[in-house]
Amino acid sequence: MIKYILTIMIYLLVAQPALQAQPALQAQSAQDSIENKAQIELGRRLFYDADLSINGTMSCATCHEQRRSFADGNQAHPGALDDPGKRNVPGLANIGQFKNLTWAHNHLSGLAEQSLMPIRGTNPVEMGMNGHEDEIRKRLGQNGCYQKLFLLAFPKEKGSIHFGTVSRALESFQKTFISNQSLYDQMMEKGTSLPTKNAQRGKKLFFGAAQCNTCHTAPLFSDDDFHQVQPREQKTTDYGLSDVTGNPKDKNVFRTPSLRNAALTSPYWHDGSAKTLIEAIQKHDLKINQTLSHQEITELVAFIDTLSDMTFVNNPKYAKPSKKCPY
Amino acid sequence: MKSVLVVLFLLTGLFANEALLPTELTAWKSLSFVSGAKSANELSNASLVLNNASLVGLHPTPKIQYVTRPTNEGGTVSYGGLFQITLKEKGLYRVVLANASWIDLIKDGKPAQSVAHAQGSENSGIRKMVDYNLDEGTYTLQLSAGADTKSALLVTKLK
Repeated sequence: MIKYILTIMIYLLVAQPALQAQPALQAQSAQDSIENKAQIELGRRLFYDADLSINGTMSCATCHEQRRSFADGNQAHPGALDDPGKRNVPGLANIGQFKNLTWAHNHLSGLAEQSLMPIRGTNPVEMGMNGHEDEIRKRLGQNGCYQKLFLLAFPKEKGSIHFGTVSRALESFQKTFISNQSLYDQMMEKGTSLPTKNAQRGKKLFFGAAQCNTCHTAPLFSDDDFHQVQPREQKTTDYGLSDVTGNPKDKNVFRTPSLRNAALTSPYWHDGSAKTLIEAIQKHDLKINQTLSHQEITELVAFIDTLSDMTFVNNPKYAKPSKKCPY
Repeated sequence: MKSVLVVLFLLTGLFANEALLPTELTAWKSLSFVSGAKSANELSNASLVLNNASLVGLHPTPKIQYVTRPTNEGGTVSYGGLFQITLKEKGLYRVVLANASWIDLIKDGKPAQSVAHAQGSENSGIRKMVDYNLDEGTYTLQLSAGADTKSALLVTKLK
């Protein structure tokens, strides 16, 4: 009997913090190594450097604007050589917490591999650097600050500049993108209610009858998984995940986007076809969605608005770095 | 004479299959050449006139000292330039460009916030249109992160 009670007590001690630990979005440890700090600093400079594109016109930040939670205000952004964009630019809040990246890919090893898709990808051509690794080495190598930063960030590779080190530095920087200070987070932490009736009702709907949380699962507000929710009759040339897997079952299947900062990232949907959050909600081809009234959709939008984190979009650590070399 | 012929040749290329343009953009077809400034000191020689389209000459980015650091300043292999324009009244203005250069409109050291973006219709020669609510006064127009040494440029008043 004592053993039984002890087991229950141990379970409660272990399990309770886990049940309470709703926000799992923590900033990176201050104990980072010198190498990792240098990689983050280097990645930040690279993120804002248009020399990563063939004609010097596009940096990562051209499409991923901090004030829009690192999304873009366009339906799709044309590439450096004006090739039309294929999909809407996704936001990057908490991107380091995701296993699956981009709108429809499940085989990427991480942000380093993903960052090479816009840099040297050909479908579509975005930054246009496919086959131009030497040009990257030449452009960055003639900059004294980059020479120092690459050496500090990658001492074992003697500061070598190539797609591998560039992409790993970009990964290190993007992993610092933590957004966990929205109004919703603050209210959750204090255990108080959201400030407006609409937002309160929206929250109840979101986690209840409307079942939004099934896919837009807190705390990331994405389940990091793939679903088919777009209207079936929609004409499209973008088949989503099946373009990667070749599996017909994956046709029109896309990754659930996070709703953190969604109010800042319009337009919506993988093709940017929904101009507003209301349109995006209405576009879900789900039975539950068809029963939502206009008032309920307004309430859901009011709740989603509370997921905006202005400390994230104004955080100077993520902004374009000073021209002055930090080392 | 040679430079005039070069400009005429460039213009023919820009508007090879021209599309019908809305009335506010009719000036788009007749261009005069303006070389961009490389720094604030040269701005007096790089003036634009409202509702007059210009073929503007741009410079390699490393040679330019921008008045305010552009949001997208372009890499070492890109092109840009500075211009100035005086607006006599407050209103909604549109900057029209033949290439995709980044546009910053600056007054008193502060960039104006754009209120709308659009692309031109097919074969119009217009790549980009950005709208701003502006006060009267003299603005510095910065083009940065451009792919070409030239572009057609027009500033026009919408309202």
